[in-house]
Amino acid sequence: MSATTEPLSAAESLLRRSDDLRRGLGEDVRDRIVSSLYGEAQRISQRAVHDEKARRWDFDQKIDRLVTSRLFGLPLMLLLLAAVFYLTILGANVPSQMLAEALFAVEDWGAGLFQTAGSPEWLTGLLWHGVYRGLAWVISVMLPPMAIFFPVFTILEDLGYLPRVAFNMDWLFRKAGAHGKQALTMAMGFGCNAAGVIATRVIDSPRERLIAILTNNFVPCNGRYPTLIMLAVIFVGAAFPPAWASVAAAATVVGVVMLGVGFTLLVSWGLTRTVLQGEASAFTLELPPYRRPSVLRILYTSLIDRTIFVLWRAILTAAPAGAVIWVLANVDAGGRSLAQHAIAFLDPLGHAIGLDGVVMLAYVIAIPANEIVVPTMMMCYLGAGMMTEITNYEDIRRLLVDQHGWTMLTAVNLMLFSLLHNPCATTILTIWKETRSGKWTALGTLLPLSMAFLVCFAVATLWRALAP
Amino acid sequence: MSQALPWLLALALLAALWAAPRYGLRDLWRESGQKRLRRRFEDALKHMLAWERRGKIATPESLAGALERSPRQVLALITRMESKGLVCSGSEGVRLTPEGERLALHVVRAHRLMERYLADEAGLPMSRLHQAAEKAEHELSPEGADRLDAHLGHPQRDPHGDPIPTSQGELPGVEGVTLTEWPVGRPARIVHIEDEPAVIFEQILAAGLKPGMTLWVVEKTPERLVVSGEEAEHRLALAVAANIQVAAAAPERLRASDAVRLSALPYGVRAEVLELDEECRGFSRRRLMDLGMTPGAVIEPALENTFGDPRAYRLRGTMIALRRQQAGQVWVRRLSGERKEAA
Repeated sequence: MSATTEPLSAAESLLRRSDDLRRGLGEDVRDRIVSSLYGEAQRISQRAVHDEKARRWDFDQKIDRLVTSRLFGLPLMLLLLAAVFYLTILGANVPSQMLAEALFAVEDWGAGLFQTAGSPEWLTGLLWHGVYRGLAWVISVMLPPMAIFFPVFTILEDLGYLPRVAFNMDWLFRKAGAHGKQALTMAMGFGCNAAGVIATRVIDSPRERLIAILTNNFVPCNGRYPTLIMLAVIFVGAAFPPAWASVAAAATVVGVVMLGVGFTLLVSWGLTRTVLQGEASAFTLELPPYRRPSVLRILYTSLIDRTIFVLWRAILTAAPAGAVIWVLANVDAGGRSLAQHAIAFLDPLGHAIGLDGVVMLAYVIAIPANEIVVPTMMMCYLGAGMMTEITNYEDIRRLLVDQHGWTMLTAVNLMLFSLLHNPCATTILTIWKETRSGKWTALGTLLPLSMAFLVCFAVATLWRALAP
Repeated sequence: MSQALPWLLALALLAALWAAPRYGLRDLWRESGQKRLRRRFEDALKHMLAWERRGKIATPESLAGALERSPRQVLALITRMESKGLVCSGSEGVRLTPEGERLALHVVRAHRLMERYLADEAGLPMSRLHQAAEKAEHELSPEGADRLDAHLGHPQRDPHGDPIPTSQGELPGVEGVTLTEWPVGRPARIVHIEDEPAVIFEQILAAGLKPGMTLWVVEKTPERLVVSGEEAEHRLALAVAANIQVAAAAPERLRASDAVRLSALPYGVRAEVLELDEECRGFSRRRLMDLGMTPGAVIEPALENTFGDPRAYRLRGTMIALRRQQAGQVWVRRLSGERKEAA
């Protein structure tokens, strides 16, 4: 039988025939298919569906006219943003403290247990005061705000408000050569930059998606708020009468966030003109009708998909960091701890950008998770053997300003550094997983870092030149 | 002895750096050499194909000019290509063998498919397409080209209007004539814009002329042409106009006189979609069609924002936001107040 050669040539000729036919069809064949599909669908729906001049539609449109209006659109957006922050900060305070107390009680209990069991001092320290304490810290600082922020955010998403934000902001992003949906991923970044990077999947164009990934870090995440809030309260709030202090502090945080949005746009603009050249791609955004949020789904997506997922990654990276901190603070070399050596080494660099060696060390250690920046700084300033927190803002002020010579410049530059510096290890890992490219991951890490150094250096130099 | 050790180590390291397989300098150099050679082969084949299409035969001199190599280097190149059975040289010039022509057509196909991809999907500006594709064409295998072809929906022309060869190596000709030969006053459709030399190509792009556009020659003098496009009049030097090829605009392609761009439709006015502009291609076109922007659909600008761009439109019971640039690619006709929705 000729079965071995015949089918092959038959397939070949079939392919050729299909090629010829395709050429004959012309290029608009797809257009014609889609048109006829829509035509048929419309014919069927007209027979089957009766349209009772929807009142819902009019109601939706009234809301839409308000939230996208020329006058109120943007202010309303800012107000909502501020409200979400306020709710997050306010609501997370008490659970955070309760969680911290509970978790640290376990630490004391565990350490005590180890001691009675006769384990060596270093093992107890490393495991309980290092690894466990680091974990406890990250969980207690990170979990409550995320458990509030993400559900609130998901409610806005579910309601259908977020697409309107993208609609309002798109003009700015278009000017920067980016995609309007970047506004959505940016908003997600307020919760967690790693989640923001994952959220860029909604952007179809690879070029614009990369821009969104590389610039997501410029909006501060939950882990960075403690630093910003502490500085805002101590340095800005303190300059106002007590009644206005918290408002001034909140306004400062919102201001820093706006600055971050500004940097996002600026860097997007820069990227469009250098490594990611190209024209803005198609922007089609559906503005879905407003819907009543479904509570169960919100709880599921925000708690399981986002909160637990992000927390788990943070835990994986924070545990080794806890061990490193403990070793640095407790291993002596030449009469001084390793931490003190490192601080002395980093001090000139820190001074050049208006900060100091302690802050630099804290940021090096905090690469796995930004939550531990403030506790690490406190530990170093106090010369304690483990991460420490002081809850009273007045005590912190005395420690930083009176004992360690912090000025307004230190505060401003620390805010800038916190806003701009490299993404945390979790985010870096996520960038790699999303892009599968070492090159883009490196750029996403080094670009913010060099921006942070450059901006802080420029501010410090100017400040010192202009200050009397 | 202890003095010599560091030197020995350094020497060993250097040797390893040089000779390491695959990532060593030697192998990297070889690989890049092979790539360079392949690139030169393919550029030469392309040049010869282009000349044969115009009924001429490439010569070593013309090759030297096209590849920017010295005549001696070109002769060496031709010898190597002959030994591979790609070309055969005679007294009148260098001809492609069937094998050489097959390869040349593949390179042209890769080039034009790449341009289509870069223009439609990556959003690269027109002026940078040619250069980018000139590099990328050498990286694409025939199988890769087939995959790209299928991904792009089997396009027949590149963004300049040139036909793309089929996978069987058939290359349909361009049906147009140059703009300089076109009679005054007859509507013409741009079918092709030559992308070399780049200086002239930039001028044409700067005037806003693109393949698919309809225009009229208004005035013709020995020095220049005045043509009227959709929105403006352009003065073109003859040397520039000679790089534009046009064909008769099919009568049904002429837009209805009451057609306006969707971006120009006032807020709250209902209109009927006529068609999508020729410029709107690839992903962007697919997306608009899939959203239901098909001829006959009823559309109405419904929302504006602080900056006036983008606007949101009501279409088939949904609300869709489009940037002004995109809405400009949709042609619509106003519906008069009394008229009911077209079925």
